[in-house]
Amino acid sequence: MFLLRKEFRHIRRNTFIARAIIAVPIIQMLVLVPAVTFEVKRIDLAVIDSDHSRASRELVAKLSGSSFFAVAATPQSVREAESMLFAGNADMVLVIPSDFSEGLAGLTRPRLQVLVDAVNSTSAQLAWTYLNSVVRDFNRDVLLSGGSPPGQAGGMIMSSGSMPGLSVLPHYWYNPTLNYKYFMLPGILVILITAIGLLMSGLNLVREKESGTIEQINVTPVMKWELIASKIIPFFIIGLFDLALGLSIGWLAFHIPFEGSLLLFFACAMIFLVAVLGMALFLSTMASTQQQFLFVSYFVMMIFILMSGIFTPVESMPVWAQQFNWVNPVAYLMRINRMIMLKGSGFHDIAMDVGLLSLLATSLLTLAIRAYRKRA
Amino acid sequence: MKAVEANSITQRFGKITAVDDITFAVSEGELFGFIGPDGAGKTTLFRIAATLIIPSGGRMTLFGLNVVSDYRELRNHIGYMPGRFSLYQDLTVEENLQFYATIFGTTIRENYHLIEPIYKQIEPFRERRAGNLSGGMKQKLALSCALIHKPRILILDEPTTGVDAVSRTEFWEMLEGLKKEGITIVVSTPYMDEALRCDRIALIQQGRLMGIDTPEAIRTSYGRKMWAVSHPDRYRLLLALREIQIVSNPEPFGEAVHITLHEGTAPEDLNRKLENTGIHGATIKETLPGIEDVFLELMRRKPEEKSL
Repeated sequence: MFLLRKEFRHIRRNTFIARAIIAVPIIQMLVLVPAVTFEVKRIDLAVIDSDHSRASRELVAKLSGSSFFAVAATPQSVREAESMLFAGNADMVLVIPSDFSEGLAGLTRPRLQVLVDAVNSTSAQLAWTYLNSVVRDFNRDVLLSGGSPPGQAGGMIMSSGSMPGLSVLPHYWYNPTLNYKYFMLPGILVILITAIGLLMSGLNLVREKESGTIEQINVTPVMKWELIASKIIPFFIIGLFDLALGLSIGWLAFHIPFEGSLLLFFACAMIFLVAVLGMALFLSTMASTQQQFLFVSYFVMMIFILMSGIFTPVESMPVWAQQFNWVNPVAYLMRINRMIMLKGSGFHDIAMDVGLLSLLATSLLTLAIRAYRKRA
Repeated sequence: MKAVEANSITQRFGKITAVDDITFAVSEGELFGFIGPDGAGKTTLFRIAATLIIPSGGRMTLFGLNVVSDYRELRNHIGYMPGRFSLYQDLTVEENLQFYATIFGTTIRENYHLIEPIYKQIEPFRERRAGNLSGGMKQKLALSCALIHKPRILILDEPTTGVDAVSRTEFWEMLEGLKKEGITIVVSTPYMDEALRCDRIALIQQGRLMGIDTPEAIRTSYGRKMWAVSHPDRYRLLLALREIQIVSNPEPFGEAVHITLHEGTAPEDLNRKLENTGIHGATIKETLPGIEDVFLELMRRKPEEKSL
């Protein structure tokens, strides 16, 4: 169709856009996937050892022996340690009391004090968990070597944790090594096609409004649906192309496993693109300049992406936020992508999400077409 | 059948009334001009005629087809050129033309004879992107695109605004050529000299129609004798004329100042008074009022009518 040919011509002519279509997925995948990770690689630990015993040195050695901790300093006082924490030279402070080794022998009940820089609550949580597991491990070693009565020793060092002698060996399904990249990659693919679908198509329409060319088209016998189709189809194709490109990069660069059906994956992406393009069309009917459109859609996109559960699990959001996700197409595809890619879910497993997403896509597109009045 | 028939067309945008109860008719094959200052409502009126907006009140038909209910059919017969250049700047000259030809289900070749005199001038640049054309060439391309489907009526909204004087003259020559092809042309312009080239003109001001007639009739409708007073020191002359009691409405017009004299006074009386103020040797000649004179007179008269 000639309207489509014209759209592709516009895209080809605009060398910047044409290049961006290729470059954006590559950059996004290669930069964001490894960068946006919650894995805490190195925690700088400051240790105040008031005990100076063999046992305390063993604990410190055990901590620095783990790949997560590095003993960055050994300050003399809590005060000094606090200032290091404050200056950012240490992420965590461990205070070993002077009665530590006595406690291990079961004579007193000493307490390890831990100060964590919790500006980033996620990494603080992780650091705490790591420390906990190392200390628990240490405890068990002490118990096994028959140092003290079990109950006492367990309660002594850490108040939390499991019963001594019983260790929990978690086995993480679907992502056995807890590789954060595997978790992020499907999500970043969703961001990629959201941005392309929403911004590129919407801006294209608003640009025609801004330059007045839409008026010129409107006085011709071109039908409403023809014009809308010519605005949606190119970006639908580009969205799928970029998705395929992004996925290939994920596969080549990060060896992301793909458990499920590729066909189902792309089918869901198509439904999602219809929803996003419908939204772009709707927003573009409300805006009369590209600036207005960009501002509104950026805002909408932010909300949709941040609430979709890309970083934080939806289940831990407040109830109203979870309810909001009923109308958030990004949340559906986020879930669907992860299920298909990591879990290998078949259509049966995600039927509910696919159904709701389709419903959402249809209603968004209908809404957009209604809002898009060719006349007046 | 009339090419355009408008009955009490009114268009309100919120509290503003852009077009206020306008009634007019254009015959087929006529070159009809709307003259008026910026913000007079010309563009709004043209957008209604081009089926782009629905009027708040009144009825308009083009060739008997209603602009509101028969817009789909009507769009095949309208060639609309908005005031702002609205072609695709990133497409080439030829691609733009091709695109509009295809939209209307025709080809460049089919109606080439119609656009030939215009398009031939920009054809050497057909590989150039429309955005890189000069103002006059853009105008020619826009006209070609508006013509490519052989419309029965051309609606041209200020087609010569921002175009150099030579291109403006050329453009009007093209319009006269198109008129000979039998195409009805409705055009708006802020330039009074262009009005003389129209078959009939409508003066429009603040959304209201102030008169429709041939340029000749409008000029003679002035009713009073008009004098052109000239003197080498035009500025001093104008200041002096403003002070003299028997002179009304002095307006600078080219080299001269157009005035009317109070009844019962003659040019000799004026000359005497000018000499008194130290202006010697001013020439006073009778002249035919220009469109501007009528226009300005009508604008002056309007508030009085309102108070009646």
